[in-house]
Amino acid sequence: MSYSAAKNSQMQKKLRQEAKALLEQGKVDCIIGYEPGSLKHATTPLITKDKAATERLVINPFIVNNLSNFLPYTKGRIGIVAKGCDSRSIVSLIQDNKVKREDLFILGVPCSGLIDVSKVEALVGKYRDEIDDISRQGDIITVKVGAAKKEFSLSQVMFDNCLACELPTPAEYDVLLGEPTSPIGAAAESAGKLDELKAMTAAQRWAFWQNEFRRCTRCYACRNVCPACYCKRCFVDETEPQWLAPMPQEPDNLMFQIIRNLHVSGRCTDCGECERTCPVNIPLRALTRDMYDIVDELFEFKSGMDTKTQPLLTAYEVDEAEDLVK
Amino acid sequence: MADSKKVRKEDLAGLLTEWSRDYAVLAPSRADGVARMAAWDGEDISFLDWYRNTINPVKSLFLPPVEEMFSISRNERGHRIELPPKDDTGCLVFGVRPCDARSLILLDVVFEDAYEDPYYLDRRRRSIVVGLCCTNPCDSCFCTSVDSGPAATAGMDIMFTDIGDNLLVEGISRKGKELVAGNATLAKATRTDENRARKIRLAAEKKITRKIDTGDSKERLLAVFEDESFWQQVSAKCVSCGVCTLLCPTCYCFDINDAMTGGEGSRCRSLDSCAFSSYTKMPMENPRADKWRRVRNKLCHKYEFYPMLFDNIACTGCGRCIRLCPVNWDITQVLDSLPAKHESKI
Repeated sequence: MSYSAAKNSQMQKKLRQEAKALLEQGKVDCIIGYEPGSLKHATTPLITKDKAATERLVINPFIVNNLSNFLPYTKGRIGIVAKGCDSRSIVSLIQDNKVKREDLFILGVPCSGLIDVSKVEALVGKYRDEIDDISRQGDIITVKVGAAKKEFSLSQVMFDNCLACELPTPAEYDVLLGEPTSPIGAAAESAGKLDELKAMTAAQRWAFWQNEFRRCTRCYACRNVCPACYCKRCFVDETEPQWLAPMPQEPDNLMFQIIRNLHVSGRCTDCGECERTCPVNIPLRALTRDMYDIVDELFEFKSGMDTKTQPLLTAYEVDEAEDLVK
Repeated sequence: MADSKKVRKEDLAGLLTEWSRDYAVLAPSRADGVARMAAWDGEDISFLDWYRNTINPVKSLFLPPVEEMFSISRNERGHRIELPPKDDTGCLVFGVRPCDARSLILLDVVFEDAYEDPYYLDRRRRSIVVGLCCTNPCDSCFCTSVDSGPAATAGMDIMFTDIGDNLLVEGISRKGKELVAGNATLAKATRTDENRARKIRLAAEKKITRKIDTGDSKERLLAVFEDESFWQQVSAKCVSCGVCTLLCPTCYCFDINDAMTGGEGSRCRSLDSCAFSSYTKMPMENPRADKWRRVRNKLCHKYEFYPMLFDNIACTGCGRCIRLCPVNWDITQVLDSLPAKHESKI
């Protein structure tokens, strides 16, 4: 179904009703959703027990956070708003016994893709707060700056991971807030950085990544927004023995990310949060998406598709991936 | 604005080249896709068009994300400790925004307080801070609520203001006035230039609509300190990453680690963040194992403890913590939501 603002506001209305009813009937202890952010074209997570606060819940093309990240740290029964990618993370957390399915009420959002404001900024040569309006109708995104108006296509302004999304409508949910959506199906258009890197020699790639990670601040936003990174004690904090230098320096910055990427392999759902939140714009998705594709190629495994499948790294079949061990 | 000078924009590169003879000149760059202060390349002044502020605050030039304090090597008689080689070149940082310039004043008192920190102070004392008045502040900026503003000069040696074809140049500190005086590239500014600057500054100040009342924030924080439910609610969506602290112009907490192999190596200090659960981890316990305690600490450090010690709020309203936060946690909303003193339970 094509996107329209009217359908979206219907979905939002339904969400507010459902969320309020869940709290009123005591079916959940809290709601995790999105409310308008304090910046333009932004939302912020809303974690609330307050019935009245459900009136602030929103669904729009800026609901970027993968809210499943909060599940392992939130007590009680939870009503959670989930887009397709988020639902895959939720399923992955259920598979890993980090959260119980019966404690969740999943308010599924059939997603039509999210707008990457940094792409819009680059296209119109203005900063987020200088852009007056970004709206979507069908497959056209209209951006207004003052009296000027420009139109863009989905592949120009959607997040790369949205262009490559395979499951926009959650497979796991308790209520679906709208009609199912289909994938944008523009994976090829989103693979720019990855293709560029694959065309390089190993030495060139190494040089590229070393340069990128030189500006890493080790803020760990990539890890802390990742639902697959739920370890109580991260390897990077180990001191006896110390795995990596705890300070921002090369090659430790890059090593941290490589190890993190290996750790989340088979659980990463390509939600794109690591790359989005990196304050110094390191193209992290080029690493995670490559791992995602490798996992799929070697094991025919896509994480978080259904709760019945065993997690990739706990299941083994004798005839699988023979050429891994030579 | 008395004795102010001006320079034509096309002559700015020439002026910076002149200064490059005596100083390592740094200027805003986005060579690697991220706005930051970097060694000026000798010609590019395009930042005048695109630059609003850097991602990394100016503190990172004086309190770098990581630095060697001393090296440790081995010889026949034991270990030898050496300080890093001293660099005598001073740096001239061009284009520092008023919020970042102010942050240096707030950091100076910390590194001069109990004892003099040679690493920070040495770099600071050899530096010239050339400010650039804000003409296009962001919607996340709230400098006017914390004793600053788009045209504030605190912490600057010289201030530039973009007035169209020219930049107005004002010497602020003694060092700055000396640099400006007698410089042949600079012409005397006219009354019209100064009036134009005044108008531009006023317009910039009007653009800052994010305002909070910080008058009694210290007392309100103290009053709500033990209200766990308030802090639980405030911190719920925080993901405990280090973005808002590591990239804050006034956060100065650091950690010290040894980088050693085979008994040789170096002792380094690097920025730490109170958002991390390991921040105050001690052998027996961690007094801030809970997220809400860490969020409280961050806020109280800036708006309560620091003001008690140094009579200033340790926040310059640069808005980075709002702009860069993965979840759009907004310090101004939290400060606004602090209960008035008399409403608190305690």
